[in-house]
Amino acid sequence: MIRAGPKTSPASETLAHTELELSGRWRVVVLNDPVNLMSYVMLVFKKIFGFNETTARRHMLQVHEQGRSVVWTGLREKAEAYVFTLQQWHLTAVLESDETH
Amino acid sequence: MKRIEVKLSLPVVAPLLDVIRELADGLGRKLAAPQEFGDLDPEFRDAWHGDLLADQKADVGQLLALFDDEFFTEGIVAFDEDNAEPIVRACAAVRLRLREVFLRGLGDDTLEGGDVELGDLSEPVRKAFMCYLFLATVQELIIQHLDSSIIDS
Repeated sequence: MIRAGPKTSPASETLAHTELELSGRWRVVVLNDPVNLMSYVMLVFKKIFGFNETTARRHMLQVHEQGRSVVWTGLREKAEAYVFTLQQWHLTAVLESDETH
Repeated sequence: MKRIEVKLSLPVVAPLLDVIRELADGLGRKLAAPQEFGDLDPEFRDAWHGDLLADQKADVGQLLALFDDEFFTEGIVAFDEDNAEPIVRACAAVRLRLREVFLRGLGDDTLEGGDVELGDLSEPVRKAFMCYLFLATVQELIIQHLDSSIIDS
């Protein structure tokens, strides 16, 4: 006879869900705005992510022309820190779950 | 320490400071750029928002501090490795707020292209747009001369 396990409470389901979310991969996405200068956006990318000129320009142009650019992917805690810093610099930045992983 | 001094035209810039001061009050209470906080825990979200707001307020304070007695007597403002970063950020905050408060009617394409006929604008919008351009010039100056100081700091 197999003993039934304890019933799962809604609270523990939420906890398990949260842990899964935290352990997954997350994308830091910068969205376009009509105000910030291209040179400013590049400066911010170089400062925060250590991008070189070419990479910073590529991401800036992606934001400008396609409306968004994924600038970093990784663990949630670090992604949150990057989003916070981008918001400190007044770029519109959001956190997205990376569903491709 | 790298430092640049810029001589500004007092009659042109002084009236723009009224616009910046007017918006600075609001920037102590509201973020310049609307931000999404997603699924963050409400307590964490409030702390996050509060920290952003405090940083924004401090940066705008640094921008206003540029226009001190020396500016009103000599027309000179100085940027260096200490103030470049907060000032370039504060310019972004005020420009975003200018768009929100005064420049919405111009449309984003016009604003992005900068192709505006000043004579067609009402006085408050014209002044706001001049301020918007002035702050962009300050940002360009800082980025041109002090970008490595900001990136390496």
